[in-house]
Amino acid sequence: MSNQTNESSSGKSSLLGWFDERYPVSSTWNKHVGEYYAPKNFNFWYFFGSLALIVLVNQIVTGIWLTMSYQPSNAEAFNSVEYIMRDVEWGWLLRYLHSTGASAFFIVVYLHMMRALLYGSYKKPRELVWVIGMLLFLVLMGEAFMGYLLPWGQMSFWGAQVIISLFGAIPVIGPDLALWIRGDFVISEVTLNRFFALHVIALPLVLVILVFMHLVALHHVGSNNPDGIEIKKLKDNKGIPLDGIRFHPYYSVKDAMGAVFFFILFALVLFYAPEGGGYFIEAPNFEPANPLKTPDHIVPVWYFTPFYAILRAIPDKFLGVVAMGAAVVILFALPWLDRCKVKSIRYRGNSYKVLLTILVISFFVLGFLGTQPSTPLYTKLAQIFTALYFMFFLVLPFTSANEKTKPVPERVT
Amino acid sequence: MKKILWIASLLLLPMTMNVQAAGGYSIELESAENNIRDQESLKRGAVLFSNYCMACHSLKYMRYNRVARDLGWSDDEVITEMAHGLNTVTENVMTRMNDGVARAVLGSDAPDLSLMARLKGDDYIYTFLRAYHQDEQGKWDNSVLKGTAMPNVLEGIQRHASPDEYAEVARDITNFLAYAGEPSKLERLDLGWKVIAFLLVLLLLLYLLKREYWRDIKH
Repeated sequence: MSNQTNESSSGKSSLLGWFDERYPVSSTWNKHVGEYYAPKNFNFWYFFGSLALIVLVNQIVTGIWLTMSYQPSNAEAFNSVEYIMRDVEWGWLLRYLHSTGASAFFIVVYLHMMRALLYGSYKKPRELVWVIGMLLFLVLMGEAFMGYLLPWGQMSFWGAQVIISLFGAIPVIGPDLALWIRGDFVISEVTLNRFFALHVIALPLVLVILVFMHLVALHHVGSNNPDGIEIKKLKDNKGIPLDGIRFHPYYSVKDAMGAVFFFILFALVLFYAPEGGGYFIEAPNFEPANPLKTPDHIVPVWYFTPFYAILRAIPDKFLGVVAMGAAVVILFALPWLDRCKVKSIRYRGNSYKVLLTILVISFFVLGFLGTQPSTPLYTKLAQIFTALYFMFFLVLPFTSANEKTKPVPERVT
Repeated sequence: MKKILWIASLLLLPMTMNVQAAGGYSIELESAENNIRDQESLKRGAVLFSNYCMACHSLKYMRYNRVARDLGWSDDEVITEMAHGLNTVTENVMTRMNDGVARAVLGSDAPDLSLMARLKGDDYIYTFLRAYHQDEQGKWDNSVLKGTAMPNVLEGIQRHASPDEYAEVARDITNFLAYAGEPSKLERLDLGWKVIAFLLVLLLLLYLLKREYWRDIKH
């Protein structure tokens, strides 16, 4: 290839120049990686975004290979999972990567959301980053729920039966809606097939598009940081933020290091406790789905248990469904419920610290209660902590409006 | 760093707490103390399984040649030891009873045992096998699963062998079922530390690389 044919108006004479004239290779790379300036004071909490992306890739890649051997049918679904575990080369590894990855996804995403709560990452101008992130969380929950049906074990079947029947509690349209979701009067092969379709193509597609939008929104407004300062306010004469450093190589090497640290924890679970103590793969799921035999306790997987506990705390079924939905949906409104101008918890008043602590404790306690059979004591506790969970969102608009904040520094610390 | 360790230990916390959702047995389970690395125990367990269990139960997800490969038998040996020369190695380990006979004779189908160890745990199987007792009228019952349709197949051993031998028979069968529940388990355990060792080296290199790059950044 001669150089003359590659001469471009910008004077570039290279293969890259040839592409740049036809596709924004360099400018895209620079906008999002090479010259994306991130605050230099990212701490531990800032690993979880890249980790979530890595787990998503893991789920997609292992999912593709699992799909090659899995059979979504009433007769063969359970058998095909055991076939993968026993007869497919490295099938056990693929399956455990995928099942451990599902739990890891939620751990990473919950910590990622916690970071936003700590440092006010959802606040102006990042409201849409947060809202898109919440949509991601919602789709992820749907994706995980549908994926859990596929092994066609007892807990797969009855967990899905319980959750879908919740839609039946909605007045007027409820029963027809539940019927429409299942495609049958009970969970059946019809349900399995549509969940399979949604799990392997529809929702992953939405997830990938939302991740793309999440990143585009983030790179448009710039990253927040543990001090909650806008680094774009102070720039040098070349227009580069004084407290910003290029994402690549600085954060690419740092995130790579974080990723390997995460892989070590992941490998510990994957190789030495793939059932996650009965939380990641529930023991009753080693028995094939049996519509005639209800398990003693139907427990959703751990990542749904906080919301499940809220559902059970409310005596009325429909109101329970509403409360459970509200517990997720209310998070969307967080950027507008929190009226404090100061972003980072480092400089916020005590009221926010107290409220956030209560929220986190409530979330953990509800998560625990959701794994337990309901007893009068546990139901009472679930009601108290459900109230405390919602209290965060109801009290925050009032306390945050006139919070006693500390002075925020000009530069990152 | 402290924070990282704190979070890391928090993430691993659930692993240490075993959920026994199906718990609540009428007696406390005995510890099976079986070892799936003990190939002799697995072989004894396989033979015992063939002689005492396969009359009713199957291991439909196991193939004879897989058992042979994992337990250190040749193809011929596994058929001699487990199938009295009646099956071929590529067949799955199926019960010798015809369909419906168990239901007709005992009132219940005998469940497939491929995943029993993962469903109920090794200790459950061990305790269950040893929990048969006879009341004054000579009627057998099982204190783990009261009113079970399964007869006390180990009665002869329970009566005539020493307590240690009886315990070992139950342990060997448990061990074989633990193996059958996840035949790839040893491969998993043996691969894991190698992967982690590699990752630790990689982590060190990446840490040094990160430190080298971050020298430029003034704080």
